[in-house]
Amino acid sequence: MKSMTKTKKLVSLVLFAICAALLLTSVVGYVKRGSSATEADLNTMRTQSVLHAASGGLVETFASRAQSDKLMELRKLPNFRKLGTAEVTRQCEEAAELARQEAKERYSNVQGTDTAALESEISLFEDTVAIYNNAETAEKEVYADAYTALADSVSDWEEFVGEKDDAALLASIREQVSELPAQLDESFVLLARDMKAAAVEAAAKADEATEETTTEESSDEQSVDYKYFVPSAELTALEEQVEVKYGSLWTVLVAAIPDLANLDEKISTSVRESIVEILSTTNEGFTARYKAYHAQEAESALSGKAASSMKLSANAEIILIASVALLLLTCVYAFWDFLTGKMGVPRTIILLFFLYLCLAGRLFEMNMSMLMGNVLERFGMYGILTLAMLPGIQCGIGLNMGMTIGCVAGLFGIITALQYNLTGYTAMLVSMLVGSLVAVPMGWAYSLLLNKMKGSEMTVSTYVGYSFVSLMCIGWMILPYNNPRIVFPLRGSGMRVTHGLIGVFAHLLDNLGSFRLFGVKVPTGLLLVVLLFCGIMWIFSRSKVGIAMSAVGSNPRFAEASGINVNHMRSLGTILSTVLAALGIIIYSSAFGYAQLYTAPKQMGFIAASAILIGGATTSKAKVNHVLFGVFLFEGVLTLGQQIANAAVSGGGLSEVMRILISNGIILYALTQSGGDSE
Amino acid sequence: MDSEFVLEMNGITKKYGLNTVLKDVTLRVRPGEIHALLGENGAGKSTLMNVLFGMPVIHSTGGFQGQVRLEGQDVKIHSPMDAMTKGIGMVHQEFMLIPGFNITENIKLNREISRPWFVSKIIGKDMELLDTPAMKRDARLALDSVGMKIDENELVSTLPIGHMQFIEIAREIDKTGMKLLVFDEPTAVLTESEAAQLIDVMKSIAARGVAIIFITHRLEEVMNAADTITILRDGQLVTSLAKTETDMSELARLMIGGSGSVSRVSERETNIDPTKIAMKIRHLAVDQAGEATVDINLDVREGEILGIGGLAGQGKIGLPNGIMGCYPATGEVELFGEKFELNNAKQALSKGLAMVSENRRQVGLLLDQSIEDNIVFSAMQVQNDFVKGPFKLKDSKKIRAHAEEMVKELDIRCTSPTQASGTLSGGNQQKVCVARALTLNPRFLFVSEPTRGIDIGAKALVMQTIVDLNRKKGITVVVVSSELSELRSVCDRIAIVTDGVVECILRPDSSDTAFGLAMSGVDVEEGELAK
Repeated sequence: MKSMTKTKKLVSLVLFAICAALLLTSVVGYVKRGSSATEADLNTMRTQSVLHAASGGLVETFASRAQSDKLMELRKLPNFRKLGTAEVTRQCEEAAELARQEAKERYSNVQGTDTAALESEISLFEDTVAIYNNAETAEKEVYADAYTALADSVSDWEEFVGEKDDAALLASIREQVSELPAQLDESFVLLARDMKAAAVEAAAKADEATEETTTEESSDEQSVDYKYFVPSAELTALEEQVEVKYGSLWTVLVAAIPDLANLDEKISTSVRESIVEILSTTNEGFTARYKAYHAQEAESALSGKAASSMKLSANAEIILIASVALLLLTCVYAFWDFLTGKMGVPRTIILLFFLYLCLAGRLFEMNMSMLMGNVLERFGMYGILTLAMLPGIQCGIGLNMGMTIGCVAGLFGIITALQYNLTGYTAMLVSMLVGSLVAVPMGWAYSLLLNKMKGSEMTVSTYVGYSFVSLMCIGWMILPYNNPRIVFPLRGSGMRVTHGLIGVFAHLLDNLGSFRLFGVKVPTGLLLVVLLFCGIMWIFSRSKVGIAMSAVGSNPRFAEASGINVNHMRSLGTILSTVLAALGIIIYSSAFGYAQLYTAPKQMGFIAASAILIGGATTSKAKVNHVLFGVFLFEGVLTLGQQIANAAVSGGGLSEVMRILISNGIILYALTQSGGDSE
Repeated sequence: MDSEFVLEMNGITKKYGLNTVLKDVTLRVRPGEIHALLGENGAGKSTLMNVLFGMPVIHSTGGFQGQVRLEGQDVKIHSPMDAMTKGIGMVHQEFMLIPGFNITENIKLNREISRPWFVSKIIGKDMELLDTPAMKRDARLALDSVGMKIDENELVSTLPIGHMQFIEIAREIDKTGMKLLVFDEPTAVLTESEAAQLIDVMKSIAARGVAIIFITHRLEEVMNAADTITILRDGQLVTSLAKTETDMSELARLMIGGSGSVSRVSERETNIDPTKIAMKIRHLAVDQAGEATVDINLDVREGEILGIGGLAGQGKIGLPNGIMGCYPATGEVELFGEKFELNNAKQALSKGLAMVSENRRQVGLLLDQSIEDNIVFSAMQVQNDFVKGPFKLKDSKKIRAHAEEMVKELDIRCTSPTQASGTLSGGNQQKVCVARALTLNPRFLFVSEPTRGIDIGAKALVMQTIVDLNRKKGITVVVVSSELSELRSVCDRIAIVTDGVVECILRPDSSDTAFGLAMSGVDVEEGELAK
């Protein structure tokens, strides 16, 4: 703050003032939303919307009539055939447009009619619709819960359905799903049969596929199929009531606009749909209501002043986002020196970028709680993989791109667990044990190579990381495991590319003690495991050996002068890094739900390196908090960034391009910095 | 206008920041004479030559004051290239030759003789062909004049090191219009016979009317070759005299410093028993690049402060580094009567040896770590001190307490023991290094170049600390330093290392002449030696 120049102070102050003004405006908007005046205005808009929707139907009727009349008229012309399709279409549409204008003018001014009666009818209907909607939602929720419970508990549909008859199948379904409403019995039997068919088909497909492309992580939460949903008796009764209420509303509407009486059936259904849609927003708060009414051009019913106040309320959120965005920018501008001093330029910028992504997510109306849940999940998935970078940097081999060796060891552990049909925690622990046991000698051998090539570790590790993965592509093919679950079905040998871990140890940790906080799913177990390993590494870094190892990393000559065997310490760090990578890939696969072999681990080193570098580590110095901060920021930016990039720019592929740009860009930046690392 | 002198440098003053490295230095060189420039390390010889050659390091640090005249004309030399065109040449200490080129190509580098052909007539002079026969003729001539019989077509990389020096000289001689040639310690890497040959070559060059500035610290060579001698000390001109007016002893005295009186930090109250040997070194050879020792034989007495002096590059720094296991060493060492294993840093530390390294920033400290972590590091690693529990976790409380004690005892100026040691001043960094060595509770301490790169006030404090350690804790101390006055102020005896061997052991009150001669590798009178 001391070093701030006068202009900077002035500019910051002005910017802060603008922020405050914007903030105030948005607060005013939010306050107005709750006021009774707004409520009344909204109701006016609602009436107008209903009328508009109804008259809109009329207008369309007139337009389509005019169009068909014109067509008939044209047909009668002697030179009809010479006109050509384009010309005919043009003339018809012209006529329809003309009719539409005329009709609009005729029906635009219906306020004069008996709005009071209309309003009360609308309110009544609205309430009924709301009750119906609530009931329906509740029932669908029960259905969805039962559906997911069944889908999750059954791993082998073929076995589950088997040759059972309906009653027996139902009994076994009820075993899995405790609360199944009676009216759903039949549907669930059908459902189970369908699932079986799907499973058989999928298995057949897997047989054909020999080389799958790597499946990028998709949201692995299954979508619920509502095909078999059956409403209960109460719900049917409620639906009838809605019908009745709509009848009386329609009567009032016809009274207001007599022409409605002779509406096309098709158009009258669509009118009904739009009216129901407008009115089912009641419980969803201001924004949804306003939006629904706005679509029906209902502002025209408001007086000038009311309209502008409504506009303010409607835009309060955007103003709020804009003010927060500006506030962030101002803060960064004003406290630049402080922030960059604390975190460094790149971290400041990426943190700012992350916050902006959150705001942009709000702006694009994305499901932020789901996105945040994804961020947490991916934090857990990549946490230990990134932690694997830490001992490498500390012991002086720099960014350990060769951590893919550890990933391969971990995958070998998983495959071993699959081979012996292990499940649950046993499978996970056996994977970890086997993975670590394999990782230790591999890491040691790899460290010998690194010790021989001091000074060019980065090149060696990148090359070894890549080539070892490629070498293991052969290794996976000739591994003598023979469990039919893991080998190529037709070939009978060689590991498959992707192994589903559902029923083995998929989501074991992230479902352990998970809960929802403000709608964000917190994968408690996963986070705890990451924190546990970080804690162990932190304690290790405070032990005699850990201190010696970091000394080797930061100043090998100093360490040597103190009687430390530099090569031993470098080997230790490399082995630790490799073992952590093995454990990391097991936890990653568990949370992802699939274990991917062959070329899949190739990029892991780059992801982990970028994450720890974002966290503030350099190629020669790193701490545990760099890992935690880095994984959160990196995965946060990527998760949000990909989704938002897809929302902002249609057409897929952008997210993948972005991932590569961001992660490789960060590594490059860090490498440019690593030269001038000295204080 | 003709002048008596080919080069006159009058009143040259050069400052690096606040540090004056040259103060009103005058150097006058006559045509055809060999002018020796004599001085200890840091006396300002190199800086003076940098000024003469207009090196960028001079211009980028604010230039210099004074006047440079060539053949009576005021000149401004902007760059080494400029100096070359004005007829000043340099034979470098490190060879500036391209190993993959042959001798002719190296001699004619950038001054190739070329002849035009049709392509060069169209595209330009850059495309002209080399006139190899003419170049070879020139190279032959130059080689002959330096007495080299080797084939001019041979690759430089296949030559012995001694020959490279002569090729450098041949290259300088080949330049036309050469008026002044500077030899920067040309005999440092030569064998005796080669050195003699070189001096002959220098004389023959001088006889052709080219003036030579001969930078060296070997007094014998000076007496042998030079006509005039200029002596610098601490950036100041001591004197400039003809060889016939002086002798080696006087030169040695002038080079080391004339004051004669030595200011001792404190005198010893009890006498050292010369029969109790703390460390017996026999035939120690250490392979440290630039500071290699060849055959050191030395007895360090228990409880004394032994100084090790000598010029840079003679091997005095290799001695402690070799014993502490930092560089590969061979030989026999006994510590307090026990056999001592070389090349094992851990064992050296655990046997009660400790060292304060001359390379503070690279070997002495973990710059990005805190003062306290630096202080306890070695003790923790070697003696399992300051750790607790089965996992040997660091005992922060104990570390803090010890660090605070050390900070107080050695008066380390810092904000707290958690401050990063890289942010301390040089003197305080040195104290942290001393604290680290002390934490090992050593019986025997090496202190290497303790005052390098720290300011004068801090220097006195560091030397006082060393004396206190010796007197109060009874630690045997070996101090290695390039600054003789420093050694003479604290040591009981001073060993001078020259050319990788102990030349002789002197008393702190031995004469300047004795020190000067010893450093030049000349035998010293019996009476000056320590008992």
